[in-house]
Amino acid sequence: MNPRPDPRQLATPGDGIAKGDVLLDVRNVSLAFGGVKAITDISLNVLKGEIRAIIGPNGAGKTSMLNVINGFYTPQQGTIVFRGKERRSMKPHQAVGQGIARTFQNVALFKGMSTLDNIMAGRSVLMKRNIGWQMLWHGPALREEIEHREKVEEIIDFLEIQHIRRTPVGKLPYGLQKRVELGRALAMEPTLLLLDEPMAGMNLEEKEDMSRFIIDVNQQRGTTIALIEHDMGVVMDLSDRVVVLDYGKKIADGTPDEVKGNQDVIDAYLGVPH
Amino acid sequence: MDILNGILVKPFADMAAAPDFLLQVLWEGLVGGVLYALIALGFVLIYKSSRIFNFAQGIMVVFAALTLVGLYEKGLPAFIALPLTLVVMLVLAMTIERVVLRPLVNQPDIILFMATIGITLFLIGFGELIFGGENKVMITEQLMIPTGSFVFELFGGFVSIEQKDLTAVVGAVLLVAGLLVFLNKSKIGRAIRALGDDHQAALSVGISLSTIWVIVWFIAGVIALATGIVWGARAGVSFALEVIAFKALPVLMLGGLESVMGAIIGGLAIGILEKVFEIYWGQPLLGGNTEAWFAYMLALLVLLFRPQGLFGEKIIERV
Amino acid sequence: MFYPTAGQFKTSYQADHALFPVRQDAILLGVIAVLAFVVFPLTANEFTFRALLIPVLIYSLAALGLNILTGYAGQLSLGTGAFMGVGAYACYKLVSIFPEMNIVVAIALSGFFSAAIGVIFGLPSLRIKGFYLAIATLAAQFFLVWLFQKWGWLYNYNASGAIQVPNIDLFGITVAGPRATAVAQYYFVLCTVCVITLFAINITRGRIGRMWKAVRDMDIAAELVGINLMRAKLTAFFVSSYIVGIAGALFVFLWRGAAEANLFDIPLSFRVLFIAIIGGLGSVLGNYLGAILIVALPVIISTVPEAFGLPIGSATVEHLNVMIIGALIITFLIVEPHGLARFWAVIREKFILWPFPH
Repeated sequence: MNPRPDPRQLATPGDGIAKGDVLLDVRNVSLAFGGVKAITDISLNVLKGEIRAIIGPNGAGKTSMLNVINGFYTPQQGTIVFRGKERRSMKPHQAVGQGIARTFQNVALFKGMSTLDNIMAGRSVLMKRNIGWQMLWHGPALREEIEHREKVEEIIDFLEIQHIRRTPVGKLPYGLQKRVELGRALAMEPTLLLLDEPMAGMNLEEKEDMSRFIIDVNQQRGTTIALIEHDMGVVMDLSDRVVVLDYGKKIADGTPDEVKGNQDVIDAYLGVPH
Repeated sequence: MDILNGILVKPFADMAAAPDFLLQVLWEGLVGGVLYALIALGFVLIYKSSRIFNFAQGIMVVFAALTLVGLYEKGLPAFIALPLTLVVMLVLAMTIERVVLRPLVNQPDIILFMATIGITLFLIGFGELIFGGENKVMITEQLMIPTGSFVFELFGGFVSIEQKDLTAVVGAVLLVAGLLVFLNKSKIGRAIRALGDDHQAALSVGISLSTIWVIVWFIAGVIALATGIVWGARAGVSFALEVIAFKALPVLMLGGLESVMGAIIGGLAIGILEKVFEIYWGQPLLGGNTEAWFAYMLALLVLLFRPQGLFGEKIIERV
Repeated sequence: MFYPTAGQFKTSYQADHALFPVRQDAILLGVIAVLAFVVFPLTANEFTFRALLIPVLIYSLAALGLNILTGYAGQLSLGTGAFMGVGAYACYKLVSIFPEMNIVVAIALSGFFSAAIGVIFGLPSLRIKGFYLAIATLAAQFFLVWLFQKWGWLYNYNASGAIQVPNIDLFGITVAGPRATAVAQYYFVLCTVCVITLFAINITRGRIGRMWKAVRDMDIAAELVGINLMRAKLTAFFVSSYIVGIAGALFVFLWRGAAEANLFDIPLSFRVLFIAIIGGLGSVLGNYLGAILIVALPVIISTVPEAFGLPIGSATVEHLNVMIIGALIITFLIVEPHGLARFWAVIREKFILWPFPH
C-alpha cells in the first residue's frame, strides 16, 4: 500500500509516476444494475506507458469496466486508485480533469460540428478564458484560441485527416469518424486513454492504420492505453498485457502468450457450459 | 403569523366549515380534469405510436368544435353535421399524414414537434378564415345533451351538478373504456402499441405505417371532437379554447408521455388540485387567477424529483 | 463569378480566425451596413421605421437570444415572451427609481434581471431533458405573465396596469417616449443590435460556443470529454436570457412605448420561436432573415392583393398571415430543416464554385 500522497503533487502532469509503475489500480470493484451483476469483484491494474487490453465475450462487462474507470458509473463496491489518488465516485468531467480520456464503442461524436470543432471541443477543459474575453475575441481569448488551434492541427496532421477538417462529422464514413474520435480524445492530452473497440466495423486497411496510430500514440506521446477489442490478432500484436473477463469476472491476466495458453480463456471463447 | 395562518390553517378550517362548498369545488375540478385528461389522451396516443409530440392536439379540439357548429350554422341538422365533422377529421388526419408526416419520417423529434406547431398555426388561420374568429355557442340541445342540473342537499347546504357536466364525465369514461378495449384487444390496436416500441419490428410484421398513422390521428381527432363538444358546452366555442391545449402539457408531463393511465390520473389530479388551490389559497392570498400557472409549477416540481413523470418509463443512460 | 475564393490563402491561424475569412463576405456586409446606416434612414418614412425596420431589428435580437439556447445549446424554450417581459419591466423599474440613469446603462442592466430569472428556470434542465424541459419554460411563461399582472409595484400601481415609457434623452436627443423621433429610435436599436450580434458571434465561435454545440449534439459524450454540463447549460440560459431581456427592453422602450402584461404572453414567445426556426436554428444570420420574413409577411399580404385591385379586410389579412406562417414552417421543415440561413449558404457555395457545377 502506498502512503497517501500529497494532493498538490498530483495536480502536476509530471506526477512522479515513472514508466512501469502502477498508474491505475482497480481494486475489488463490483457493479450491478438492479439485480443484474455487470462486474463481480474485479481487480486489475494498468502500468504507466503500457498498452493494456481488456478482452472477453459479449456481455463480459468490458464496457462497464471502462465506464467505471472514467466515472460514468459508480461501482457499488471497491475503489479505484488513479495516479495514487483513491476515489469511489466522481463526475465524468472530473475524470477528464485528472487525465482520463476515452472513445466509444458506437461513435459518440458531435454530429453537427466539423472535424476541427470536434477536436477543439476536446480541449474545452484546457481552455480558460472567460466569457468577457470571448465576447471581444481579442487579446487573451484570441491568443488562447490560436494556441489550441496549433495543438489541434498537430493532431490532425498526425491522424492524416487534414482534408476533412471542415466537414461536418455526420457526413464522414465510419472509419474516418473513428479516427476523428481518437483525435478528440488525444486533444485532451490524457495520461490514460481508454479505447472501446477502436477497430469495430473497419476493413483490414483501416485496422492497420488504426493500429499504427495506437502504437504511435503510445510510443511518441508516451500515453498509457487501455483498450477493448474483439480482433484477437490485433490484440495479441498490440498489447503488452491482456486481462480476460467473462460474465463479469476476471478469468485471466497476463502477457498475450500466457493468456493464449490459459484453459479458462479457451473455454470461455469456445463456449464450455458453466 | 398571519401569513402562516393563511397558508396552513385557514384554508383547512374553511374546508371543514363548509363541506358542501368543498364538494362543489371538487366536482368542478373533476370536470375540468376530465377535459384535460381527454386532451392529454390524444397526445399520448400519437406519441406512443409515432414518437411525435403533437402540439396541435389542442387546436384540433377547437377545430372539431368549430366545424361542428359551423356546419350546423350553415343549415345542416345536428345529426348530419356530427358525422360530417367526423369525415372532416378523417380528411384532416389523412392530409396531415400525407403532407406533413410522410415527408418528415425519420427526422429528429424536435423537427416533428415544430411541424405540429406549424399545423397548429395553419389550423388556426384556416379555421378563422372559414368560420370567423368570433365566439360561437355549442349546439348542446341539438345534440340531445341534457342541460338541467341536479341539486343535492348535503351537510346542511347543497351541491349542484349540471347534467351536461355529468354527461361529459360519463361520456369520457365510456370513450376511454372503448379506447382501452380497442388498444388491447383489436389487431390494429396492438399494432399501434407495437409501433411505439419499435418501428422496424412493427413494419416487419406487415403493418403499413401510413395506415396506422391515419388511424391514430383520426382517433385523436375523434377524441378532440368529444372534448370540443363538452368544453364548448361549458365555455362556448372559440380559439380561446387553445389555452386548454397548453394545460394538457403539464398533465402529460405529470403522467409521463407514454402512459394512458398517467394521462387520465394526471388530468384529474391537476383539474382538482388547481381548483382547490385557486379557491382556498390563490384567491385569498395571491389575488386569484392562479389556474394560469399552477399546473405548470406542479408538473415542474414533480419532474424535478421524477424526470420521466409519475408513470413514464425510467430512462437509463448508456454509452 | 461573384465569389471567387481561389487565390485567397491564409498564412496564419489568426487570418483563418478573422470574422470574414472570405473577402466577398466582408464586402457584402459593408454594402448592408451602408444600406442600414445611411440609405434606409435617408429614405424611410415614419411607417417604414415603425412597421418594418425597428420591429425587424428587435425581433431579430430576441430570436438571436432564443437561438443561442435552442439552436446552439439544444434546450427548447417556449417562454421567450415572458423573459422579454422581465427585461422590459426591469428597465421600467430602473428608469422610474433612478430617473437620472443613462438609458444605455438601464437597458444593459435590465438584461441581468432576465438572465438571473432565466438561470433559475434553467436549473431544471440539469435533470429534465427534451420535451419535458419545455414545461419548465412554459411554467416561467405563465407564472411571469401572471406576476406582471398581479404585482402592482412592477407597474408603479398605475390604474391602467400598463407601463408607459417616459421621455428619455441620450446626449440631448430624445430616444424613448412620446417625443422621440423614429429615426433616433432606429439608430439606437440598430447600434444595440449590431454590438450584441458581434458579441454573440464571438461567443458562439469560441470555446463556449463549442461547448454548447457539444451539449446539443450529444450531451453524454460532451460530459465524457470533460464538459461540465451544468455550467454549459446554465451559461446558455444566462446569455440567452440576457439577450432576450435586452430585446424586451428595446421592444417596449424603443418601439411600443407602452405595454400591458399580456403583450408578453405566449403568442409573442411563439412568434420569436418561428423566426428562429424559419431563419435557421444554430445560425446567427438566420435570425435576421427570419425576422424580415415574419415582419414583412403581413405587410405583403395586405398590400400585394390591393395592388392587383383585390382589397382584403384586415381580419382576413391576419387569418391568412397565421395560415401562411403555419404552412411556411411545415414547408421549411420538409425542404430545408436548417432554414433560410442554409438556403443562403447553399447559394453562396454555388457562387464560389461557379461556373463549375460541383
